[in-house]
Amino acid sequence: MTTSKMTCEAFDAALSDYLEGTLDDSARASVERHLSECLRCSALVRDLENIRKNASMLPDLVPSRDLWQGIEARIAAPVIPLAARPERQRRFAPAWMGIAAAALVVSTAGITYTLTSRSVRAGQTGPSAQIVSPDSQAQSGTTTDSGAAPSTTESVNVGGVSAPRSASNSRVPHSDTRIRRASPAASLASQAIADREQSEAVYGKEIDMLQKIVRQRKTQLDSATIAIIEKNLQIIDAAIEQSRAALARDPASQLLGQQLTHALDKKVELLRTAVMLPAST
Amino acid sequence: MVRVEMADTTDVALAAGGDRQAFERLYRTHANRVFSLCARMSGSRAKGEELTQDVFVRTWEKLPQFRGESAFSTWLHRLAVNVVLNARKSEGKQASRTDQSDVDDERWDEVARAPLYIERMDLTEAISKLPAGARKVFVLHDVEGYKHEEIGEMLGITSGGSKAQLHRARLLLREALER
Repeated sequence: MTTSKMTCEAFDAALSDYLEGTLDDSARASVERHLSECLRCSALVRDLENIRKNASMLPDLVPSRDLWQGIEARIAAPVIPLAARPERQRRFAPAWMGIAAAALVVSTAGITYTLTSRSVRAGQTGPSAQIVSPDSQAQSGTTTDSGAAPSTTESVNVGGVSAPRSASNSRVPHSDTRIRRASPAASLASQAIADREQSEAVYGKEIDMLQKIVRQRKTQLDSATIAIIEKNLQIIDAAIEQSRAALARDPASQLLGQQLTHALDKKVELLRTAVMLPAST
Repeated sequence: MVRVEMADTTDVALAAGGDRQAFERLYRTHANRVFSLCARMSGSRAKGEELTQDVFVRTWEKLPQFRGESAFSTWLHRLAVNVVLNARKSEGKQASRTDQSDVDDERWDEVARAPLYIERMDLTEAISKLPAGARKVFVLHDVEGYKHEEIGEMLGITSGGSKAQLHRARLLLREALER
């Protein structure tokens, strides 16, 4: 269809600019003359403006389910202060995570060997000096007036279960606040085991929760990313097992306990990173 | 709106400090709008729900960086657009191929027709079926009210390209809604 001034093809070419309001005066006048004479083109403009108007008034859509639970599960992990660090964790690239995990295995193995050897030698030379654990000192009645926990102690809340935890990750809550002046070696060992078991239980709950979320999100994540995460988890698990094996030989060793805690921390950190990863499409 | 923004300011500050209840309030206030953007831009409600969760997780991470230079809703909205666009980058070539292949030749009736009557549900459905490039521009411009310059910056295209995609989207919608 044509008009005396403008063809429909010419109108089509100018339509986008006409709707945008970017035509100069004379071109705009030509388009409007054409519109006044051409039913096809005037209908087109009317429909397109109708679409634009309706689009601008579209109401919000509503999700089919409450998405908050999924969001909360993904943001919950970093808020739990398992270690005395800023809540917002730094991010590690997978490659650095691998290097860190490998270094952890090496250092754990080395320390395990050294300490186990020392422990055996110490055991051969007779009873050692009496030991007062830092945790016992923390419980020696030196709590602040406000009743707040000592600075070395922080609260861990995992899945609604609260447990106090010392910076050395080996404190057990109990009502005995007296200074433990001396303890037999066997008593210390059993105490250390009990401490560690409780600490591991706290980590265990956290790790279970995070692993569950990671499993649920597996289909949303890139397969290469999943592979890297699983490989690094294997390395960290190996470090955890080595630490546990060493602790089985020297249960009272605080350093070995810290190594185990460090490895568990790494596992939690890696799982948290996986939980927070955006979905791939 | 002013009341919402004032409530946002308090909750944003609390949430930036790690208060999850405050963050949940922010989520409840803005979830539908973010979901609408995500669903319309992705062309899928299911994908929109997934992206909405990504947006709020990302928001939680980024909140400490929010300086309050714009309204929280504006900042959140822009962040949501970025999350959707970044998610779509991985579709890359496939999406661009779809864009090219989906364009039908324009066909015109040569007779006057009754005005197009648009049902909202029909329009929503038709938007979801647009080619990805046209859909993104249409949603950002005609639904969300961004300018071509802003869209060009977000999508890495020229404002002229944005105008062309918008025009194409409107024509395709008209065709779809006529059926």
